[in-house]
Amino acid sequence: MTGATHALERPAARVAPWRRRGLRRAVTFYLLISPWLVGFVLLAAIPLVMALLMSLSNYDGLNLEYVQFVGLENYARAFTDPDAQHALGRTLLLMSVVVPLSLVIQLALALMVNQPIRFTSLFRTIFYLPYVIPVVAAAWVWKIFVDPTGGLLNAALGMAGAEVNVRWLVEYPMVVLALLTIWGAAGGGMVVFLAGLQGIPAEYREAAMIDGANRLQVTRHITLPLLSPVIFFNLVTGIIATLQILVQPMLLAPGILGLSPGTVPPRDNYLYAVHAYLEIFVKQLFGYGSALLWLLFAIVLVLTLVLFKTSRRWVFYGIEP
Amino acid sequence: MTTWTTRRQLLKGAGALAAAAAAAPVLAACQQTPTTPKPGSGKVVVMTDPNEFSDNDRKILEDATKLKIEIVASDLTRLYAMYAAGNPPDVFRVQAAGVPQYISRKMVKNLQPYFANSKVLKPDDLAPANNYYRWDGKVVGKGDLYGMVKDWSPDYTLFAYTKAFDEAGVKVPSDTTPLTYDELRELAKKVNRKTAGKRVYWGFVHSNNDQWIDRTAMNMLAEKSQTLYSADFTKLNISGNPEALKVIRYLYDLAADGVHQTPTDPSPNWMGADFNNGQVAILQYGYWFSAMAESDTTKGKTVFLPAPTWSGVRRDPTMTATGWVVSAQTKDPDAAWAVFEQYMGGKPALDRAQSGWGVPGLKSLYKEMPQQSTFQKQVQKVLQGELSNADFVLQFNPYLGEQAFSTSWIKHLEPALKGSITFDKFVQNLETEINAAIVDGKRIVGN
Repeated sequence: MTGATHALERPAARVAPWRRRGLRRAVTFYLLISPWLVGFVLLAAIPLVMALLMSLSNYDGLNLEYVQFVGLENYARAFTDPDAQHALGRTLLLMSVVVPLSLVIQLALALMVNQPIRFTSLFRTIFYLPYVIPVVAAAWVWKIFVDPTGGLLNAALGMAGAEVNVRWLVEYPMVVLALLTIWGAAGGGMVVFLAGLQGIPAEYREAAMIDGANRLQVTRHITLPLLSPVIFFNLVTGIIATLQILVQPMLLAPGILGLSPGTVPPRDNYLYAVHAYLEIFVKQLFGYGSALLWLLFAIVLVLTLVLFKTSRRWVFYGIEP
Repeated sequence: MTTWTTRRQLLKGAGALAAAAAAAPVLAACQQTPTTPKPGSGKVVVMTDPNEFSDNDRKILEDATKLKIEIVASDLTRLYAMYAAGNPPDVFRVQAAGVPQYISRKMVKNLQPYFANSKVLKPDDLAPANNYYRWDGKVVGKGDLYGMVKDWSPDYTLFAYTKAFDEAGVKVPSDTTPLTYDELRELAKKVNRKTAGKRVYWGFVHSNNDQWIDRTAMNMLAEKSQTLYSADFTKLNISGNPEALKVIRYLYDLAADGVHQTPTDPSPNWMGADFNNGQVAILQYGYWFSAMAESDTTKGKTVFLPAPTWSGVRRDPTMTATGWVVSAQTKDPDAAWAVFEQYMGGKPALDRAQSGWGVPGLKSLYKEMPQQSTFQKQVQKVLQGELSNADFVLQFNPYLGEQAFSTSWIKHLEPALKGSITFDKFVQNLETEINAAIVDGKRIVGN
């Protein structure tokens, strides 16, 4: 009986070991994420809330004295703003070109540098390099590269025959923008794909090959399905990044001002974030610009949720939850 | 019962976080604000162009005022962000186009009482360009002073690259008789040159790559006592004003002629650099550019010419009037004024006058402008004639930001030049967009 009594009393007097472990784990967890969490709250969450409040006002960014609450007027305005509609259309077009092409190129590069051949590390470095080049420098290099008078691209094309004088940034601005974006993002995506490829056990491929599968079949039926979570990740982040593009079209625009209110990209490269930027900093419509950005957030959210819904059909996880 | 984080959850989380941050980048600019001094702290924050304000200037001003000066690089975006944070610089650099707007929004301090008591900056000594900093609530050029030019230039003058003229077999225009804008257009077509589709010379480049296109149009129109805007600034009126329509048509035709740098025929460079590289035959810039007009390529081949006229009336005011104002929110206006006063009338002002990078803001310093070289002497000869035509101001719209017009112009010019829209539609788009911006601006200031 005594033993039984003690057994009944002990849980009431002391915290169960599993609960202590849980508390310790929770404290450790929050301590470890706190640097990121604090940064997120200060640099993202608070500005987002402020932007939300701003989007409901006529704030001009200059003088709080004149601020008035305008309700959802700024949101309604976005639906009748021809520039906003044009910009959204161009942004979605860019996204639909850049994201699939980027995924294919990134995956192809990863498959190449995953081969056991000489100088693999060198090629990995070369392919990764554009990803770490500052976007200002990259855009400037591309601007010079496609310059109609002294640019390398026309010179290279001209080597085949007659002189080429294509004004790329005037006649095909979105092609240049898409190439710059794909080129700039290729290295980052390649590394993620490479990590995914190296996480696939070699036994799976070997077993398939013993069963008679060729390289293409192995890639199609073994590698790609096992890589699908990584493809999904790169797809989601690629869409988000493309919808937010602001700096590249401004830097590729005529003139030397770059990301400043005096810059106007060609109509083809007049993207959604560019429109929001110009509404805020040229027309000083901070309220309307914030509303445009919140609408962009809503679009991103919807697209992301749709992707998550469809992912159940084509994304395969090694360890199912 | 340990719960492991699955790859699906990790990817979901990462995706969600990336989505949450989607709207942050553009707004992030709003968070970058330096500190402004507390009352009596003895520090003055000056937002200016570091290229125009040397470390030596800072030391001279600190010695003269016994104040500490913190320099913040000029950046319109940053200025807005600092105002948004309620923490604007004490003194900041502006151009004429922004002054009415800043004053009407009560952002800058009325400096009239300070000027009235200053022993350094005397009202009689102020160059005419300072009138851009006068505002009586209705028009530019009248009323109290809210700032001052650091220096200025009659800005409609021309620089001709004689080699382009020689190669075209065209005589370089006279430096005593101004061209008309029509003559200028014809001349530009003659000296404009492309070889095998590649640019050799742009015929006539102006308006700071269209960033100042409204200022060019306004000065042309002012010759006929006309303006781009209605008298109360509530409407951009081009289509309803035949004279305005003619001016806009002229500027549009210059772009369509292919003699000017445009969105469909851009240069990767700044137009001043293109002139220095010997790629521009005629450049419209003010006296200040004479300090750098002669490069290794253009030395001995550059001539300074008087401003062209639209209808025979000579007008050559500044179109920038770059200067300083004091923030209405400064916590130490006396300290801000002390720095302002010394920069505008002390040793830095003398240094600027002697550098030749602009006509001084004080008439008493005019004599300090350099005139040693042959080119400088020729420039001075033309400049002296232009100074008598410089006592005008352009009427900038108080409801519009500095770049609202030029941004709209460039945006709609591209489809027009590509043939997607007609000239009439171009004008209509310009009017629609600017008039909507005026309505917004007017509603914000509440009158």
